[in-house]
Amino acid sequence: MTSKDLIFSKIKGHTHHQYGKPQMNLMPMSFNDKMKSFIEISQAVGGAAIVLEKDKDINELIKELYPEAKTIASNIPLITCRTMNPDELEDAAALNGTDLGVVQGIFGVVENGAVWIRQSVKHKAIYFISEALVILLDKTHLVNTMHEAYAQPDFNDYDFGCFIAGPSKTADIEQALVIGAHGAKKVTVILT
Amino acid sequence: MSTKHAKAAAAFIADGERTHWHDQALFFVREKRDRLSKGVPEWEELRDMASRIKLHTITHWIHYLEEFEKNALANGIHVHWAKDADEHNQIVLQIIRKHNGKRLVKSKSMLTEECEMAPFLEEQGINVVETDLGERIMQLMHTPPSHIVLPAIHVKREEVGKVFEKYLHTEKDNSDPTYLTHAARKDLRQKFLNADIAMTGVNFGIASTGAFVVCTNEGNADMGTSFPKVHIASMGMEKLIPDDESLAVFTRLLARSATGQPSTTYTSHYKKPAEGKEIHLIIVDNGRSDILGNEEHIHSLQCIRCGACMNTCPVYRRSGGYSYTYFIPGPIGINLGMLKSPQKYYDNVSACSLCYSCSDICPVKIDLAEQIYRWRQNLAPFKLADPTKKFIVKRMKWVMNSPGLFYTAIKAGKLLKYMPRFMIYNGLNAWGKGRELPDFAPESFNAMWKKGKIEKTDKHEKS
Repeated sequence: MTSKDLIFSKIKGHTHHQYGKPQMNLMPMSFNDKMKSFIEISQAVGGAAIVLEKDKDINELIKELYPEAKTIASNIPLITCRTMNPDELEDAAALNGTDLGVVQGIFGVVENGAVWIRQSVKHKAIYFISEALVILLDKTHLVNTMHEAYAQPDFNDYDFGCFIAGPSKTADIEQALVIGAHGAKKVTVILT
Repeated sequence: MSTKHAKAAAAFIADGERTHWHDQALFFVREKRDRLSKGVPEWEELRDMASRIKLHTITHWIHYLEEFEKNALANGIHVHWAKDADEHNQIVLQIIRKHNGKRLVKSKSMLTEECEMAPFLEEQGINVVETDLGERIMQLMHTPPSHIVLPAIHVKREEVGKVFEKYLHTEKDNSDPTYLTHAARKDLRQKFLNADIAMTGVNFGIASTGAFVVCTNEGNADMGTSFPKVHIASMGMEKLIPDDESLAVFTRLLARSATGQPSTTYTSHYKKPAEGKEIHLIIVDNGRSDILGNEEHIHSLQCIRCGACMNTCPVYRRSGGYSYTYFIPGPIGINLGMLKSPQKYYDNVSACSLCYSCSDICPVKIDLAEQIYRWRQNLAPFKLADPTKKFIVKRMKWVMNSPGLFYTAIKAGKLLKYMPRFMIYNGLNAWGKGRELPDFAPESFNAMWKKGKIEKTDKHEKS
């Protein structure tokens, strides 16, 4: 008898009353001005979200936001201020020391300031190892809550995906909030 | 007869200032949870839904486990089944050996604690590095975590500074949390880059897609899985949920309940291994299928390990995680310990004032306090009930059941003057320590009533 069979036979013997699946007929909260709330909540979770002005060049804005970034990694052709394309690296460990990663977000969630990232780079390390992260996001792609997020028709088109809400943080020493535990110390969502 | 919990708690509270600090630190988290939960109008509906989704899943376990395995396999994930802790550890070791692994980086996982995996692997010559900052502090201090979400909540910054001085060569007497955190970041960065095996727990397994979700604030799980070829994920069977629609409910509840954040910083979804990489998922029973058959305690299987019940528990906050004999402390730990072995862990059932605060805030509505009450009622068959208390209760029952005896006792002043002293200040009963009975009225209400001393007054008269 395999362990799986053994476990299943125990489950069979121990299942008594079976409970039905609840109706998911919830009316979740919603936001009148999604963009305004998304910007506010992004700040509350330690990040930032800013709108790209109409005539502003995105590379210029990135340079203004991160003037000290020497290595800028991105596989987005639009990002001409990049100093390298991370997809050309064989080894993910070579990304260590990246000052800024510029990546694409799919949609933002207003209730928690998180952005859904569907891996679209060779090494997912870029999302986590960069000292700072810029996430590009279409400003019309904002959903109210996680319910709406998971209900997006193409949500499941991922191999690896991650909701990122602000910078990496910890409060493991005396509950004192420290930004930059392992991942990005600064995260800016640029709404385009 | 004091329980082991009471004795350990006595040692903890001997330092009054530190007890107060511990209490306040945890209540601060509880208050953050309150603020965040109140910002969600449908909060109570979410709790109710979460509770029912879990109960539905575990009572249709075979269906969902089969679906989950089928989808995970189709996605290219290796699925393993472990009936108990030993088998889990053996599977992990085999995977590591197959890849000639030597250096393992792991994120926080209560399941690997439950299986006592790290010491087992260390014995086999595998270098195991905890990468959650709190867990890393505890690993360097060679002591277990005292809280499931905030492992080092009981440790002072100066103590962290001292241990980092020794192992990470930080500046002498520098205990600034930012400085220390960034020192750990630098040190662990090298461990991530040089690891050959990554290990994580699983917060949620999604049957309909075969994917699993890992939540962290630090990004340590994600850093860990970004470099080595092999990712091993250990999942307790109860972490299973039906679909993404259900996942939405849980991702809204978890971080708000755990730390008072609207979500964790990183909510990572693993579905398919990247090219040239492997994901191994170990589905672990280790007693969970037995809990399913225990109708009085089945709700314990709904736990999402948020730690909210610890943060709110007045006993936990004032006695610390180490007072409990089971590795998970607080209300959920009392219950899980009893489900593991009543003989071994019964000491913890006394660590509850039955205030029911845990039951009130549990995001999946586990009847935590009700279960603890039931355990206490059922200690006798295990021959674990305190004989002193049993003796007192028996005598009290005899007196209370007979009005004649009761009033005679009161009249004679015996019950008030002698029995309470015998009952409460006998040195064996914790209630008598540090407490004095109030002064009793010279005459009982009953006696005054009979003598006509009680005058009926209109309750509105004075207002």
